[in-house]
Amino acid sequence: MGICHCAAAHFDPNVFAIAYARQNGLDKSVDDSTHSKVERWTSIALRVGVWSSATLMVAGLLMVWVSGSTPSLASENLSPGDLLRKLFSSSVDGVTLIFSGLLVLMLTPFLRVLTAAVGFLAERDFKFVFISLAVLSMLLGELFFSLR
Amino acid sequence: MTFTSLLLLLLAGVVTGTIGAMLGLGGGVFLVPFLALAFGLPMHQAIAASILAIIATSSAGAAMNVERRIVNLRLGMTLETTTVIGAILGGVTANLLSGDVLTEIFASLLLLVSFMMIWRIRQRGVHEETHQGGALAATYRDDSTGTIVSYSVRRVPVVMLISLVAGNISGLLGVGGGIFKVPSMNIIGGIPMKAATATSNFMIGVTAAASAFIYFAHGHINPLIVAPAALGVLSGSYLGILLGRRIRSHVLTWVFAIVLLLISIRMFLR
Repeated sequence: MGICHCAAAHFDPNVFAIAYARQNGLDKSVDDSTHSKVERWTSIALRVGVWSSATLMVAGLLMVWVSGSTPSLASENLSPGDLLRKLFSSSVDGVTLIFSGLLVLMLTPFLRVLTAAVGFLAERDFKFVFISLAVLSMLLGELFFSLR
Repeated sequence: MTFTSLLLLLLAGVVTGTIGAMLGLGGGVFLVPFLALAFGLPMHQAIAASILAIIATSSAGAAMNVERRIVNLRLGMTLETTTVIGAILGGVTANLLSGDVLTEIFASLLLLVSFMMIWRIRQRGVHEETHQGGALAATYRDDSTGTIVSYSVRRVPVVMLISLVAGNISGLLGVGGGIFKVPSMNIIGGIPMKAATATSNFMIGVTAAASAFIYFAHGHINPLIVAPAALGVLSGSYLGILLGRRIRSHVLTWVFAIVLLLISIRMFLR
């Protein structure tokens, strides 16, 4: 007795249709294992980004709540420079945690595009590595010119 | 900013996110006017909050749909090359315009969206089985019918051009633009509705990120407003998907199309 490694355990009723699609070059998403890799990695990147950002934001909001003091109006009107500086300061308050969550959220799409580029590279689909890097450079260009 | 305000913002996000997901519109269409009219937020801050909420809902939804392979990853990445350009231009333009002008443009968009909602009720998705292959061809399993759907993409340059306009609307007004992109992907590109919807939603996160830092640099991202609203929309979108599976009603679409029409008039009169 033990764990069954037989193929039947993983039998997909649509296996013939998938095989047909593969043979005829129709299928770029339901393809071989490397194709599933790029999708899995992209999916993981998105999950990590969203949930870590949501956790930071919830923690920050709770910290604001527990501290009992309503954040001052000054903290609501923090300039982008002030917010970024607070991020690297030693004292961590609720607003800083919330802001770091927002920053993680804003950077999640960057991570997703980078992950896709690496995934396409792993399957040697250079055309899409190039496309992904083109999208990433535009995003980085926007980031650079905005924060300059 | 009181703690009650934070809770109200969270609630506003939940409500608009739920309605948006139930109607397949995304949260932005309802969140922006809600924040601008009910909370009296400046238009740029309302749009910035919506952009962040869009990144959250798009990323969470795409994580599921990419794994289920309904998203056409290659098509999404290809179209992102133009949506990102559109969104950057939209974000830059929005920050050159006054809040009043943005409000009027947004009101016009709502007018168009409410007509599109009613038009969409009568539309059935176009799908022809195609076997031409090509780099953007894809196959997915439709769980509702249990069938394998294969398709290839037609008229890619036209779909890229439409994506550019959708990206521009997204950057300018903080909405996903899916209501324009999905029908055109389906009718012009020959992409089945399910794949078009999932791929459009997948792209929206990157499109929104393309203008997010522009709004941030102009000081329109207020963490205490954006975070509760984004968290609310994120949880509301999950609720909306669950409710949408149980309640499928054209009456609901009609009701909210009229609501959008009224909001549009209210914004024009603001």
